[in-house]
Amino acid sequence: MSVSLPTTPREFAPLGASGLANFRLIPRIETYPAVVSFAQTLLGKLMLLILFAVGLAYNHESWAPLVFFLTLITFLPSQRRILLTASTLVFTFLVTWKTYKNWPYVATLLCLTLLLGALLFWSAARWPRSWYGRRAVLIFLSGFAALVVFAATTPQDAWFSHPLWDFTYMLSTYIWFIGYSLLDAKMEGHDAVGLQLGSYRPFWGSTIETVGGVGWNTPFAKGAAYLRRIEARSAEQLAVTQLKGVKLLAWASLISFFADLYKHYVYVSLRIPTYSQALSLSASHVHLPWYLCWASLIANFFGGIISLSVLGHTIIACCRMAGFNALRNTYRPLSSRTIAEFFNRYYFYFKELLVDFFFYPVFLRCFKKNYKLRLVVSIFAAACFGNAFFHFSRDLNLVYSFGLARALQGFWVYLFYCFALATAISISRLRRRGPAPSGFIRGQLLPSFCVVLVYCLLDVFGSTERNYPLIEHFRFFAHLFNLNI
Amino acid sequence: MDRIEEIRVFFKRLLALRGDRQSFSDQSSFFLSGRLGSVDAVEVVVLLEEKFGIDFTETGFDEAQIDSIDAIQLLIRTAKSPSNVG
Repeated sequence: MSVSLPTTPREFAPLGASGLANFRLIPRIETYPAVVSFAQTLLGKLMLLILFAVGLAYNHESWAPLVFFLTLITFLPSQRRILLTASTLVFTFLVTWKTYKNWPYVATLLCLTLLLGALLFWSAARWPRSWYGRRAVLIFLSGFAALVVFAATTPQDAWFSHPLWDFTYMLSTYIWFIGYSLLDAKMEGHDAVGLQLGSYRPFWGSTIETVGGVGWNTPFAKGAAYLRRIEARSAEQLAVTQLKGVKLLAWASLISFFADLYKHYVYVSLRIPTYSQALSLSASHVHLPWYLCWASLIANFFGGIISLSVLGHTIIACCRMAGFNALRNTYRPLSSRTIAEFFNRYYFYFKELLVDFFFYPVFLRCFKKNYKLRLVVSIFAAACFGNAFFHFSRDLNLVYSFGLARALQGFWVYLFYCFALATAISISRLRRRGPAPSGFIRGQLLPSFCVVLVYCLLDVFGSTERNYPLIEHFRFFAHLFNLNI
Repeated sequence: MDRIEEIRVFFKRLLALRGDRQSFSDQSSFFLSGRLGSVDAVEVVVLLEEKFGIDFTETGFDEAQIDSIDAIQLLIRTAKSPSNVG
């Protein structure tokens, strides 16, 4: 793949698009030959790095070491992948050490987790035709689920209970990264173990301490196989990729600034309750007016898009600065005309995870004679089962705090959300696809409005803090239509 | 119609459904560039299974295998090579 290719679908808009549709707040500087040439000079590279550092300092806690490693990679492009592994290991063990209460203990757990990942990858790559090699991901994920059950059923007073839990939790933060390397092990020309380690929570953002100090399990820019394909192969490609990185960071900073204004205006000036507050009031049988329920739900929906955009753009901008031309995580979700398209545009790398680990394995093996059944079963495997599995394994602290049975009980609401989402995507995919109706209202506005409405309603069950039973979410749902149950 | 031409027409239709009417060559990247998504990859998989008898459970699947017309031609040739028969 050439990195000069566009990385956003909109750049493939019909040539006859109107001037307004082509308007850009941030110009496409990566298409200006003079700028691209300048970005390849020593001065140009330094300027890009300084600009990037200034932007990063605005919304990333660990901006200084990040920029240091990006500088190294910029000036030593032939060593990019090795430097990626070195930077990631330094970030994992040293840069975030302040967040660990007991560094030697956490470092030991990290070493064990990385060793396990490396061993699993090496075995799958060494014996690809073996019983394990042919189903390495399935065995790994099943083994992890068994480990969770074992840890949850171990009496808390057992001497090994706490270390077992801590290891399980640490492994849970790495499972999808290890999973991607196991997928890569099957491919011809896969990377060696050392380079795979660079894709285990890469230093640009999927670290334990990431944007806003929130842990994140989704592998941004997927795994080593994807990185190999999107890596810049020449000085010109690196310049184009880095220019796109700087642009994306500028965009993230703008959205971040807007996000602060948005929160202040919506929750302070307009005094719209947060969704969490509205749900809490509803559960306490304090009925808010129906329009305030809608307002809190809509504000929560847009707030979610804004937060995810800032997070995703910042991480992908760093990835691009390192010379990997990754696709954006969030790209104009509000322009989606179908439910399936929104899922793709809203959270691209999470959707890719579900597709790679759950959708394709089922689609390629099951119900080959019946296309519709095959598609629906695969969608349910990904959007329902995979989605639930991802979130359950991400929130293992709830299992530790409340026990497996209560955690599963609290998970019912999210399970219902996954089921409803899979149903909606299945219907969306089974409907006949045809050319978009002409005209802005019928062709764009109306379909987009319907998609946003469906996702807003789904958010009643999806944006759950797992504090309330399913019936309370249905009660809130009814309030939206001025019904009291 | 030539089988590869059939694939070209198929991709043209997939792109048109996304409102993308720009031209493409046999080397153009569809999936890694974001021009098409996994939803479209599913349709390409079904086409290759039905028209060319490719069984991805045997060969393994990776979107890079269907990323361009050239990549698909290589995939078809590899799948039909004697070493992969039986």
